[in-house]
Amino acid sequence: MSLRLPDLSACFEGVIPSIIATASADGMPNVSYLSHVVRVDEEHVALSNQFFAKTAANVRANPAVTLILVDGFTGEQFLLDISFVRSVDSGELFERIARDLRATSAQVGMSEVMRLRSADIFRVRGIEQVPSPVEAGPGAASRPPVSLPALARAVAELGRQAGAGEVIDALLASVRQVLGYGHALVLLRDTRTGALVTTGSTGYARSGLGSEIADGEGMIGTAAASGRPVKVSDMSRLRRFGGAIGPDPEEAENLTRTVAFPALPGAMSQIAVPMCTRGAVTGVLFVESAQRLAFREEDEAALCILAGQAAAALGCSEREADPASPAPVSSVPSAADPARGAIRVVHHGYDDSIFIDGTYIVKGVAGMLLQLMAGWHVNEGRSEFTNRELRLVAGARMPEVKDNLESRLLLLRRRLEEKQAGLRIVRTGRGRIRLEVDGPLELAEGSE
Amino acid sequence: MRIDDDLIDFFGQPLMCIIAAADSAGRPAAGRGIGFELLGDRETIDVIFSGWQWPEIARGIEETGRMAATFVSPSDYVSFQLKGMARMRATLDADLVRSEAFMAAATAELAGLGVAPHMILPWLTARGACVARLAVSEIYVQTPGPLAGMRAGTAPQ
Repeated sequence: MSLRLPDLSACFEGVIPSIIATASADGMPNVSYLSHVVRVDEEHVALSNQFFAKTAANVRANPAVTLILVDGFTGEQFLLDISFVRSVDSGELFERIARDLRATSAQVGMSEVMRLRSADIFRVRGIEQVPSPVEAGPGAASRPPVSLPALARAVAELGRQAGAGEVIDALLASVRQVLGYGHALVLLRDTRTGALVTTGSTGYARSGLGSEIADGEGMIGTAAASGRPVKVSDMSRLRRFGGAIGPDPEEAENLTRTVAFPALPGAMSQIAVPMCTRGAVTGVLFVESAQRLAFREEDEAALCILAGQAAAALGCSEREADPASPAPVSSVPSAADPARGAIRVVHHGYDDSIFIDGTYIVKGVAGMLLQLMAGWHVNEGRSEFTNRELRLVAGARMPEVKDNLESRLLLLRRRLEEKQAGLRIVRTGRGRIRLEVDGPLELAEGSE
Repeated sequence: MRIDDDLIDFFGQPLMCIIAAADSAGRPAAGRGIGFELLGDRETIDVIFSGWQWPEIARGIEETGRMAATFVSPSDYVSFQLKGMARMRATLDADLVRSEAFMAAATAELAGLGVAPHMILPWLTARGACVARLAVSEIYVQTPGPLAGMRAGTAPQ
């Protein structure tokens, strides 16, 4: 049976370098490693050719080329007889190759060196398997396929969730239950700064809630900026993304007002899937695994379906979070524990960061929201608030808040819980929340 | 082209080797080397490969007498390509000893970098070992980066 390109899917993961042999017009051969081979369709491959001018010149003088591809699971080798068709330096296909290359090289500090200039398209004329001295090891087919009924159930479950927190928890649960991955993060876009903020987390020793990735930075930022999934299938020779974490992340948080990105020691595969709704990227689902080549084409497709459904559900939760009824004028303050001392809440105006009893909690929109509620609680004796009033008051200072109030409140709620800050935010109904305190609040403005 | 002292040092470490030839129709063949020996004139290198895995390499060398071999240090990607006229010569016992040492060093180096042993086994075999004697006329830096494609080595005196 003759081999076809779709049979070689495990060769296109960029795990083991490919080999390209060309010959000049006068017949002198040239051989080099190649970082990326992309399957374009059933008959064509694209090669990134960012360094080797001789290879590029040869294929234009003599279009006959031989390629060796290596199966990323088994090590099996395949000889491809290919012919140069054309070069592309713009367009969708070029962007796809460039994106893959950027995502990989950014992690080894070579983003400038590895900048793609053009990609060459080749027609595949024949494929042969290279004889091997050993029996092939376990291949991609040894894992069970993604269960479509389980995926359908997870999608339905996501659609049933009303609040942002429930949507994120259901998404993380589906990643574990449907696909079997134990480490995942949900990052939502802060529309004010453009950064992606960790708002949900599963499997990590430290949750990393509140950690941020700048738009366009690394795999996650690239996925958000491009609206396309970005995947690395073998981290063994790559520096761990977000790896520069200090010895005491808790102490560092208080000094830098920056939460360290959570780390899976020994991660070998990572994927960042954009969460898109109505054409806009509102967040990123990030999953990692200690297994090489953990994300097959079908896993990636399933993650895209789940991320898309979650983005739509989160959009609904933002739109539906405002109750029709007006904001309550007053409410009964929640009971503080008289035995507990005052809880000191310090707000820093320049970045809206909040420290409670000396511990960094949150900054930005979420910090401003806590400052508002704490102020109303102390000055007006109120503990219950509506999204609508928060949106009105906070929106006057930060117009962007109207689009992601729910996600900022969720981040705030989870950070307060995680830090056991003596304050809690509890949802009491659609678009309604209550601030619960364990002691009297003492508010202060931080000196910069 | 003379293989200078810097290149001699480079050839002293664990390496991987990929090779190419071209037939009389200009179609290139690709394969992997499994060992080498630098000859005393510093202008010639014997490259060992499996004729069982890569029969088109030997055929291309016999047809056109041209060959390219790229050596890479897996730990830092430092790479050099050697090109020139080549001819096939008989395989000796010493070639098999060299190839075993080369394959063992390469396997250990790759394993140390996290490549699973079952992945490496299909790439390196001495079955049907052949030897091409390459008279080096061109040497190029092939390390990824701005120096890629520059000439290396020194012109013969």
